[in-house]
Amino acid sequence: MSQSAEKVLDHFKLFREPEYEEMFAKKKAEFEYPVPNEALQHTIEWTKTEDYREKNFAREALTVNPAKACQPLGAVFAANGFEGTLPFVHGSQGCVAYYRSHFSRHFKEPTSCVSSSMTEDAAVFGGLNNMIDGLANSYSLYKPKMIAVSTTCMAEVIGDDLNAFIKTSKEKGSVPAEYDVPFAHTPAFVGSHITGYDNALHGVLKHFWDGKAGTVPPLVRKENDSINFIGGFDGYVVGNNREIKRIFKEFGINHTMLCDPSDAWDTPTDGEFRMYDGGTTLEDAANAIHAKATIAMQTISTEKTVKFIEEHGQEVIKLHHPVGVGATDEFIMELSRITGKAIPDSITLERGRLVDAIADSSAHIHGKKFALYGDPDTMLGLTAFLLELGAEPVTVLSTNGDKAWAEKVQALFDASPFGTNCKVYPKKDLWHMRSLLFTDPVDFLIGNTYGKYLDRDTKTPLIRIGFPIFDRHHKHRYPVWGYQGAMNVLVTILDKIFDEMDADTNGIGTTDYSFDIIR
Amino acid sequence: MASLNEKVQDVFNEPACDKNQAKGEKERKKGCTKQLTPGAAAGGCAFDGAKIALQPITDVAHLVHGPIACEGNGWDNRGSKSSDSKLYRTGFTTDISELDVIYGGEKRLYKSIREIIEKYDPPAVFVYQTCVTALIGDDIEAVCKAATTKFCKPIIPINAPGFVGAKNLGNKLAGEALLEYVIGTQEPEFTTPYDINIIGEYNLAGELWQIKPLLDELGIRILSCISGDAKYKEVAYSHRAKAAMMVCSKAMINVARKMEERYNIPFFEGSFYGITDTSESLRQIAKLLVQQGASEELLSRTEKLIFREETRAWKGINRYRPKLQGKKVLLITGGVKSWSVVSALQEGGMEIVGTSVKKSTDEDKDKIKELMGEDAHMFDDMRPRDMYAMLKECRADIMLSGGRSQFVALKVKMPWLDINQERHHAYAGYVGMVELVKQIEQALYHPVWAQVRKPAPWEAELSDITEAKAA
Repeated sequence: MSQSAEKVLDHFKLFREPEYEEMFAKKKAEFEYPVPNEALQHTIEWTKTEDYREKNFAREALTVNPAKACQPLGAVFAANGFEGTLPFVHGSQGCVAYYRSHFSRHFKEPTSCVSSSMTEDAAVFGGLNNMIDGLANSYSLYKPKMIAVSTTCMAEVIGDDLNAFIKTSKEKGSVPAEYDVPFAHTPAFVGSHITGYDNALHGVLKHFWDGKAGTVPPLVRKENDSINFIGGFDGYVVGNNREIKRIFKEFGINHTMLCDPSDAWDTPTDGEFRMYDGGTTLEDAANAIHAKATIAMQTISTEKTVKFIEEHGQEVIKLHHPVGVGATDEFIMELSRITGKAIPDSITLERGRLVDAIADSSAHIHGKKFALYGDPDTMLGLTAFLLELGAEPVTVLSTNGDKAWAEKVQALFDASPFGTNCKVYPKKDLWHMRSLLFTDPVDFLIGNTYGKYLDRDTKTPLIRIGFPIFDRHHKHRYPVWGYQGAMNVLVTILDKIFDEMDADTNGIGTTDYSFDIIR
Repeated sequence: MASLNEKVQDVFNEPACDKNQAKGEKERKKGCTKQLTPGAAAGGCAFDGAKIALQPITDVAHLVHGPIACEGNGWDNRGSKSSDSKLYRTGFTTDISELDVIYGGEKRLYKSIREIIEKYDPPAVFVYQTCVTALIGDDIEAVCKAATTKFCKPIIPINAPGFVGAKNLGNKLAGEALLEYVIGTQEPEFTTPYDINIIGEYNLAGELWQIKPLLDELGIRILSCISGDAKYKEVAYSHRAKAAMMVCSKAMINVARKMEERYNIPFFEGSFYGITDTSESLRQIAKLLVQQGASEELLSRTEKLIFREETRAWKGINRYRPKLQGKKVLLITGGVKSWSVVSALQEGGMEIVGTSVKKSTDEDKDKIKELMGEDAHMFDDMRPRDMYAMLKECRADIMLSGGRSQFVALKVKMPWLDINQERHHAYAGYVGMVELVKQIEQALYHPVWAQVRKPAPWEAELSDITEAKAA
């Protein structure tokens, strides 16, 4: 045996040892009854054809490799952005374990979240008892300042009424009567994680602004000079929110980050465990009603919340994940307009530096073809930026983007000479993307970690921008918003272009006449 | 053996250079490059000039004798391509220390040569002198002589320490070293009446390879290219060529002239930049070869090839005409002759609003006038500040220049295309011109330029004339 206590081989190496190679070969030959290799190759080749693509796009029921997650994941994200808040998901505990691992794998931080652990009897008799016990236990075990309740499908299918359940729980003494328990119904069979974010944030604001489920009088808006900022479901929230706060500071704008998990998902290692850290204070969340205006950075990700805020008399600046010069200009100028504050010189300088960087590297991105997929707002931001860079976003795909989103993307295409040959695909999955990468090949793919299989299958180099990113560390620390953020996106794209250039020219004695140190 | 000082004087007195010959005795002694102004920005030194002229010889170990500065900042920094050995890309230096400065670095140099021979066994080692080792009196010629005897390998001293002058002088001193130690030391396996040398071509971005197929088709053999994609032995037997072409005239003219004197190899100055230039160069090569005894029919074959290639190239360029018509181009070039690309740009429908004549001869200037009219804007050596002012004033759409000027163009909000040594595309020959025009089209239509020319939207009132132009 090649495995020994002196030198333990891990999975990278162990299964390459001869006895395993032999075992795999034997298993394949004697037990797997594989199709003949020619037939296999034939099928593989067939999946790359127009014919296969047609059949692939004719799929009506089956989703293969979805580029979206479920509502409660978004709800947990939103809850995690408030001070001392415990996300409480009413439903089955397995779902909650998924959210926690999903976020921990992306942010490399623990994510606090509990469930009411509904089981079969709860499904039959209703989950009220689970709510009563669950709220009582989490309140005494984890001592949160607020418990934000959302739901899994299980609770939604049987129709549990959160409002009534929470009221009953309070009556039964699970938590004090005046304790804040905002809630949102977040069934996964509707929408996606961005819908869940929207519902949960809406639930929190409704709780504080509209009289805490009828227990206190609703707040009356008295306009002040503050600005609310809503980032939406954002995998770069750690870097982005800090960058946005810096920009507000440069302007000297009073602001409230509505939902700010940037500290909760970036706690220091200093010997102290922080179950909760940072976040929007409950007081600020309530006072946000008085703000002069709200900036929604990802409007599609916060449709319901935006409408709710508008109904309370505030102007809402509706953006779509602005990345790049033009989109950031709009963001910055809107900030200036609504606050009446001049754009600080420091920001103007940052803008100039970004334009300079784009010009310096212009030749390398110019004319390159990209396929990209992800959340609808992210796609709008990246598409606009790629067009600005002279690239062609040939394929733009979103599983949770709808027809209205597709029209917005098409408008971006139509406004640029580089958009002529580009196409948008709403409500499509990564298996559709696979076909597209074969039939309409591009130079680079932009997407989350799951794109690595497409990279491998189609030999389209993956540039990791999106959520989740599991297989590269700490990307979430670097902003993609603001001029500095656009710079980071630019560098991320360029790095891959140059890596590919090097990989393409590094054949010793064959292609290395172009393996240059200056690019 | 001539002292370094004598050699410098010798290369200053270049009879084949009309500019040089037009000067008085006293002026000539001062050299052909302007004396540097202390405190003003300047280009590379003689060492750098020697290094870049010879580094393209691919199978040689290029050993820099000096402190880390010279090789540490400069190794493998040119895009001259090799079809074979990659040894020229390896940075060898003696990296001398304080103790070497005190006790002398000759022993370290000798040991370094020995280690190179032991580990790499190259056909030759080129040893480059630098300021510090020259100042402390290291005699690299003596060390190389001893090493040559000991290792039975040519160990060639390249005596061009930085302080003797500018880059151009270093190019020439490198040429002198080749003449003194390399050229004529080996014999080719066979010769043909169609053997030529190309001198002063460095195969940047693989440009030589755009010319070679044409010559191959005509049955003309590049016996030796000095120094692009060259092997040591090719330079060593280059004296058996029948004719030579001088490509970058100001850099290695001494090599061409002395080879003509010593070995009867006639040469002409030509360029592979521009369509008419490429044709003219091919014609000249054929003419010289026929003069030297090659069959007359080479001339008509050459004409046929020229006709075919020109037709194809003009057609290729014409494709870009609709998008390039009326675009204004400013040419700021170093080694590349400005006028040689002018006709290609004009064919693409572009207008040349100005060109630099830093290294151009009177003849070059006449040609520019011929092409661009009497009132052609020609500019001599230009400070970045003046370049900036001129760019603003003459309102070009794009600037073509070397990498060092690119940032001036960018700051003045103008598209820019690299046509010097760090460029990534090959512009030589017929296909090269089509590529150049294509690259201009790409650069001009990159959306960032519209962005660059616009001020931040909130600064609209501060907009300057370039914005008015962009609109």
